[in-house]
Amino acid sequence: MTLAGWIFFGLSWAAILGLGVFCFTKIFFKKEIR
Amino acid sequence: MRQLRPKRDTWGSRLGIIMAVAGSALGLGNFLRFPVQAAGNGGGAFMIPYFVSLLLLGIPLMWIEWTLGRFGGGFEHGTAPGIFHSIWQKNRFIKYFGVIGIFGPFVIFIYYTFIESWTLAYSYYSLRGILTSLPDQGALQSFLKGFQGLEKNAFFSGLGPAYIFFLITFFINMTVISYGIRGGIEALCKIAMPILLVLGVVLVIRVLTLGTPDPARPDWNLANGLGFLWNPDLSALKSAKVWLAAAGQIFFTLSVGIGVILTYASYLSKGDDVVLSGLTAVSMNEFAEVVLGGCIIIPAAFVFFGPAQIQSIARQGAFDLGFVTMPLVLGKIPLAAFFSFIWFALLFLAGVTSSVSLAQPAVAFMEDEFSIDRKKAVGIFAAAAFILSQPAIFWLGRGVVNELDFWGGTFCLVLFGTVEAILFAWVFGIDKAWEEIHHGADMAVPRVYKFIIKYVTPLFLLVVLGAWFIQEGLPTIFLEGVREADRPFVFGTRIGLVLLFATLALLVRVAWKKRTRQAKR
Repeated sequence: MTLAGWIFFGLSWAAILGLGVFCFTKIFFKKEIR
Repeated sequence: MRQLRPKRDTWGSRLGIIMAVAGSALGLGNFLRFPVQAAGNGGGAFMIPYFVSLLLLGIPLMWIEWTLGRFGGGFEHGTAPGIFHSIWQKNRFIKYFGVIGIFGPFVIFIYYTFIESWTLAYSYYSLRGILTSLPDQGALQSFLKGFQGLEKNAFFSGLGPAYIFFLITFFINMTVISYGIRGGIEALCKIAMPILLVLGVVLVIRVLTLGTPDPARPDWNLANGLGFLWNPDLSALKSAKVWLAAAGQIFFTLSVGIGVILTYASYLSKGDDVVLSGLTAVSMNEFAEVVLGGCIIIPAAFVFFGPAQIQSIARQGAFDLGFVTMPLVLGKIPLAAFFSFIWFALLFLAGVTSSVSLAQPAVAFMEDEFSIDRKKAVGIFAAAAFILSQPAIFWLGRGVVNELDFWGGTFCLVLFGTVEAILFAWVFGIDKAWEEIHHGADMAVPRVYKFIIKYVTPLFLLVVLGAWFIQEGLPTIFLEGVREADRPFVFGTRIGLVLLFATLALLVRVAWKKRTRQAKR
C-alpha cells in the first residue's frame, strides 16, 4: 500500500469510527425512550 | 358493533429501532458490493465522492424517512400510501404513488429470501467441511450452480436441498414477524446485530493477520492487498461515472427509498428522537461497510491469488465473489471450515435482519388500513409471498431474479427516494419539515442541512435518477443482454409485477373508501 493509500484508509476509518463513538456516547448519556 | 382497532405496536427501546434500521440496511452489499465498487472506481479516491454522497444524500434521506415515518405513524399510517396522504391531503393521487413503498419491499422479499437461504445452506456446508474441501474455482462454481438448480452435477441432482433451506429460512422470517415489532423484529435485531458485528471483526482480524502466506511470492501480501482497494487514483474523480457509482452505493447501502424505514419509524412516538437515532443507524451501517467490508474479501483474495487474478476477481458478480471466491480463499487458511462458517453466518444474519424489514410494510398495511390482526396479516402475507417466490426459485437462470431486482430493488428505490425528498422539502414545506425533524431530537441537525434538504438532496437525486435511467434503466427495459429463450420469462415477470402493483393500488382504494365511510358515520 502506498502512503496515500494508508492516508485514505486511515482517514476513512477515523471518520466512521469517530461518527460511531460520537453517536453511541450521546445515546448512552441520554435516557432510553421507554 | 364497530370493530375495535388493535393497538399499534411500538418499539421497546431506542437501541431496538436503531438495531432494526441498521439491520435492514446492512446486507450482502456491505461485504460484497462496496469493495468491488471502490476497487473499480478509483480505490481510496472513491471515498471522496462516497463521503460527499453520504453527507448530501444518504444522511438527509435517512432523516427524511425517519421523520416522515414517525409523522405518518401519528395518524396510524405505517406505510407510504397513508404517510404521503397525511402530508398532502389535498392530493387524491399521492397515496397511489405511495404504493411503491409496499410494492418495492414485497418484490425484493420474494427473491431475497431465496438468496438468504443460500447463506444458511452454505453455513451448514461449511460446518460439515464440505465447502472448504473443494479444490478450485471450477468445483465451487459447479457446487453453486448445482445447489441453485441451474445444472445437475456430481454435487446436486436437483433443487431439493436448496428448497429445504428456503423453507427453513422462510419459516424463520414468518415466525419473527408474527411476534411483531417489539417481540419479533426488535428481539431478533438486538441479538443478531451484535453477533454479526463481532463475526465481522473476527474475520477482519483474521484477514489483517494473513501477512504473506506464500514466502515465494512476497508481494502477494496483506499490505498490497489493502492497497489494491485503498490506493487512490485521483484521476477517477474527473469521471461522472465514479460520482454516480458512489451516489448509487450510498443509496443502496443505507436502504433508503425502499419504504421499510418509513414503516419502522411509524412505530415511534411523536416525542421520540429521529436525528441521533437515524445517524447512529447510519454509523453502524458505515462501520460494517467501510471498516469491515473494506478489509475482508478483496485483501484476502489478493494474498492468495495475487495482483494479476485480483482484477478479474474484482469484476466478478457479487454471488461468485461471496459463494465461490471467498470459500476458496478461506479454504487456504487454518481452521478453514470454522472461518467459512463465520463468513456465511455473518451473511445470513445480515440477510435475515434485512428480509424481516422487507416483510413488514405489507403486514403493516393490512394491520393499519384494514384492521386485520397481526397473526392473520402475517398469514396472508406468508401465503402470497410463498407463492410469488416460486418463480424466483425455479426460474433463477431465466432472468426472473434480475428482473425483480431491477424493478423492485433499483428502479423503485431511486424514484421513490426522489419523490419522498421532494414531498418532504417542498410539499410538506422545509420550515414545517425542519420543525418536525427536531421534535424530541437529542441533537440539533446542523443548520446547513436546511439548505441541503431543500435544494441539494432533491437535485442530487434528480441527477442520479436521470443518469441511472439513461445508462441502466433504458437498456434493461429494452431487454439488452437478455437471451431470446429467456424473454418470455422476463415478460411474464413484468406482467406479474403490473398485476401485483394494480392489486395493491386497488387495496389502497378500498381502504380509503372504507375510511371515508367510517368517517361519515
